[in-house]
Amino acid sequence: MQPSINLPFTNIETIPGRTIVQSLGVVTGSTVRAKNVFKDIGAGLKNIVGGELKAYTELLQESRNEALYRMLFDAQARGANAVVNVRFATSSVAGGAAELLAYGTAVIIQ
Amino acid sequence: MSDSIFFLLYFALSLSPWIVSLIGTLLYQTAKKDTLLQREKAHYVLNGDNLSTLSKPLFGREVKEFQMVMTSVVMSPSWIQITIGRIIAIFGGQINVFTKIIDWARREAKQRLREDILEAGFDEVINLRLETATITRARGGKDKTSGIEIVAYGTAIKY
Repeated sequence: MQPSINLPFTNIETIPGRTIVQSLGVVTGSTVRAKNVFKDIGAGLKNIVGGELKAYTELLQESRNEALYRMLFDAQARGANAVVNVRFATSSVAGGAAELLAYGTAVIIQ
Repeated sequence: MSDSIFFLLYFALSLSPWIVSLIGTLLYQTAKKDTLLQREKAHYVLNGDNLSTLSKPLFGREVKEFQMVMTSVVMSPSWIQITIGRIIAIFGGQINVFTKIIDWARREAKQRLREDILEAGFDEVINLRLETATITRARGGKDKTSGIEIVAYGTAIKY
């Protein structure tokens, strides 16, 4: 469990009710995750009948939160007090592994 | 004599996952989709649709609170569906079994977002994005597991 960073972030262009005074550029956070051997056993069995693989849903959710946390950490290190226009992207690196990327624009708001 | 019994047993055991897969595809998936449809209907009757891809709330309404929200779901086709899909892929064209799975996953992700924001006390989600990622099987392994991940994220707002 990682400590939470208390920075407002949205995926719209503004922070509602506040004005942006300065832009500090693009901040990114990423993580590469592979499938877990132990979770694979349950997921592999569930795969026979199809439907939701809950183990993977949780795994990827955790990974996304990790990427988001790294992005916010980057923003905080630059002295920003908010991140706007956050986006997620994914790419597969090799068989069974995926990169999860979160990026946005770090800004200073009043 | 004992040899043939052993062979029959082996045959039945190697076939059983496929039978489970067939039953699962026909019964389990249909039941799950029905439940999802009921959830969607209940929601529409109560609230209309509170997801939108606009970057600002309609009618210039003022936003009091906001929070970025995100839900995801990993769906996988069953063994039977993967096999059917592979056979269709030889000839090309629309692979209906996979279309259904992906559509199901998107609907599930969106429905979860609707329910989550209502629970957290927000009115609407604006700037909704849908992102897709694939979970592939590791190359060269015996591992058959594969699936598709759908992420729905947006900004939940309160008027």
